Amino acid sequence: MYNTMRVMKYFFMTMAAILLASPAFAQAGGDGISQWAPIGAGIGMGIAAGFCGVGQGLATGSAAEALARNPGARPGIFTFLILGLAFIESLTLFTFVIVFLYVK
Amino acid sequence: MPSQLFFTSFLNHLMAGPVDRAMELLHVPPAYPAAPINNTVAMGFLVFLLLLAYFVAVRLTLSVETPGPVQHIAEMTHEFVSNSGEQIIGHGYERFTNYLTVLLIYILACNLIGLLMPWFESPTENVTAPMGFALVTFVYYHYHGIRANGVGYIKQFLGPVWWLYPLLFPIEIISHLARIMSLTVRLYANIFAGDLLILAFFSLIPVGIPVLFIGLHFGVDIIQAYVFFLLASIYLSMAVAHDH
Repeated sequence: MYNTMRVMKYFFMTMAAILLASPAFAQAGGDGISQWAPIGAGIGMGIAAGFCGVGQGLATGSAAEALARNPGARPGIFTFLILGLAFIESLTLFTFVIVFLYVK
Repeated sequence: MPSQLFFTSFLNHLMAGPVDRAMELLHVPPAYPAAPINNTVAMGFLVFLLLLAYFVAVRLTLSVETPGPVQHIAEMTHEFVSNSGEQIIGHGYERFTNYLTVLLIYILACNLIGLLMPWFESPTENVTAPMGFALVTFVYYHYHGIRANGVGYIKQFLGPVWWLYPLLFPIEIISHLARIMSLTVRLYANIFAGDLLILAFFSLIPVGIPVLFIGLHFGVDIIQAYVFFLLASIYLSMAVAHDH
């Protein structure tokens, strides 16, 4: 566990260094948008979609379990499931909109 | 000149002059005087006309003995909205049934018209139409909150104890304003991303596979209309709730 944390720490430090370095590239490229922007968009969208998948999987799994335990509670569970999925999904969609606005 | 769908060019041909003059009066001169109406407005107007025709058809064929198919659909919609409203808002939901029904049907029709893709497009694919729905919903639920609770409505923006008031009041204001944004972006981005996905797969494999994604988009359309309706009714129920 400790080792994993350390690896994660170095990984995020490297990521931070890369992200801090990108404005320097942007200065050279001119035109306002860095040439690396599409790669950043891909990484950001990938992270957002991946964790959205994890969240929706957890929510749907719990809903399925609840339904198996108590099939009578279907309407209530269904409403809350749809609502929760919509809220989780909207976070990914915020990312999508930001990506779409800033990367042409 | 932006690309125009059939109905958009028809509308522009018909009333470009009056629309231009109306926009001049509002001090927002149109970018293209020959085509001041864009696809979003035209498609929204088309959906409005279709729904008007549908409601007129329902009203004309209304009968107790021999209900027609149109009446069956209308009754199903009404029953669905009433059940959801009773479940979520509870006592006194009847007052909101008309608004919620129109919201549900209009958003559903707006989403579904985008499936007839080359000839039509969803008004909700552009950010302005969902923003309109969200703003109207915002004004509507605040109006009913004030009507139901009077001056006491401001208690919903304050915390449980008096020394938290200055902290919680701005937070609540921001969270209420963020509801507009989240409603807008959720609907817009879902429809837009779905259409983009279908287009992307059409450009990859033009035969067969995109039909799958059109089916997915159909599901997303229905779910998003339902979610918008559900959130509007939840916000309404929170606004009109009485504190005891």
